[in-house]
Amino acid sequence: MTEPVATLAGVSIKRGRRTVVHDLDLDLRAGEVVALLGPNGAGKSTILEAVGGIIEPSAGTVTRHGRVATVLQSPGLASRSVRANVDLAQSWWGVPRGERRARTDAALAQLGAEHLARRQAAALSGGERRRVHLARGLAVRPDLLLLDEPFAGLDPETHAALVQDTSTALRDAARAVLVVLHQRADAWALADRVLVLLDGRILADGAPDDLLREPPSAEVARFLGYDGELVEPDGTRVLTRAAWVHLDEAGDLEATVTRELRMEDGVRVDLATARGTLRTFHRGTRIGTGDRVRVRLEHAVRFPSD
Amino acid sequence: MNFVWQGIQDAWQLLVDGDPYLMNLLEVTLKVCIVSTLTAAVIGLPIGLLLGLARFRGRGLALTVANAGLGLPPVIVGVMLFVVALPQGPLGELHLVFTLKGVYVAQTILALPVIVALTAAAVRDISEGLISQARAYGARRHRIALLALREARVGVIAALIAAVGAGLSEVGAVAIIGGNLPFATQTLASAALEEVNAGRYSWAIAIGILLLGLILLISAVLTVLQYAGARNRVPRHA
Repeated sequence: MTEPVATLAGVSIKRGRRTVVHDLDLDLRAGEVVALLGPNGAGKSTILEAVGGIIEPSAGTVTRHGRVATVLQSPGLASRSVRANVDLAQSWWGVPRGERRARTDAALAQLGAEHLARRQAAALSGGERRRVHLARGLAVRPDLLLLDEPFAGLDPETHAALVQDTSTALRDAARAVLVVLHQRADAWALADRVLVLLDGRILADGAPDDLLREPPSAEVARFLGYDGELVEPDGTRVLTRAAWVHLDEAGDLEATVTRELRMEDGVRVDLATARGTLRTFHRGTRIGTGDRVRVRLEHAVRFPSD
Repeated sequence: MNFVWQGIQDAWQLLVDGDPYLMNLLEVTLKVCIVSTLTAAVIGLPIGLLLGLARFRGRGLALTVANAGLGLPPVIVGVMLFVVALPQGPLGELHLVFTLKGVYVAQTILALPVIVALTAAAVRDISEGLISQARAYGARRHRIALLALREARVGVIAALIAAVGAGLSEVGAVAIIGGNLPFATQTLASAALEEVNAGRYSWAIAIGILLLGLILLISAVLTVLQYAGARNRVPRHA
């Protein structure tokens, strides 16, 4: 395993009198894309600022072995061409003048933005601005790249296209990436490792698929979209996701449809069972509120009673 | 109204002949304008940048003082400077009274708040994200200052235009500290006042035409600089 590019040991961070990050230990290694997930106000951006050296922790240490570039959430571009903007970031970073052109071209190409090179920043759409903003981060070639909600405020199509292009562009064996994400689904597209931050504490740290299938706690499971919850007679909680709940005549659970919401590609169905509530997406025969159905759980996780 | 037309004709003749008095007024006015605006810019631009970009305790008060300076009465500046610059005053050794040096100082004091307040306002309008991003990439202070000046170029040059305008048209402080001495400290604006008081309207009109022409010329040059590059901001599709 490679040496960490950045190490946080026992880091706590205060905003005013309130501690927003508690006793955080974290290693970030080259070649790794780490997604930091959490609800609004969990402390995600605060951690990013501490790793990037923008703020100092109130306790603990942040050790960096290499240069760290932070791509802030707001894509502030100078009133110049796209190429000049990417060049400018490199001049701030200290890249020799002779290397900038090639780096700019490479970074824009990685994000599918080479056709924007001569456009003025003021003429770019929101998605294009985000691409250029990310290209600046790639062009400076830091040892650790920090991205703060790089897809915020985009329409769904632009969002999906940029996530796809970014997932390829971020892969680099020589660079570590820590990306703060608001939408969980983006983490599965981008990251090798997911951190779940709730109330200023990292409550889960692992590979995305592993975390999704085996979350370490009910709290993390609920954050990861486990929206169905049954309680067994001994108090054990059984949590599952809508994707793993199937309406199936051979299912061993009986449920009543309590609500249905028509959506673009089917119906979101809320179910009540004797032991709790479930949710699923249904595309088959038409069902309505009050219908009795049988349900099969493809996968669920169990946690002792709270 | 005949005297107005006669005045314009006489004025034109004075200008065409290159009357030495008129040319001296032009020279003094240009010197005062250039020296005071440049001095105020050298002092005021960094202060305006600091007030626009930095976050520090007392910034609001400093901005309020700068904005209040926009309304600084020139006559008061002239009187205050005159008093402190008298031989027995604290600045007596600088020999400012009735000298061009004193006029430079007075005009710089008047131009300074204009440049500070308008530069700070222009810089505060720049996208906060851009400046923060520059800092996050490790941009040094002088690079951030250059970035801010370039991004706020339209507002900063507007500040310079306002300072130049004040420098060209100011009378009160110039007359008090400089004494309005012909071929020494008299500027176009202060001379125009004297000519009107003396009833020499053709001279007053000639001076007025020259002063307006100068203001137009300098403003035109600065406006071209202000919007240089604006053409490049029109979307071009590669």
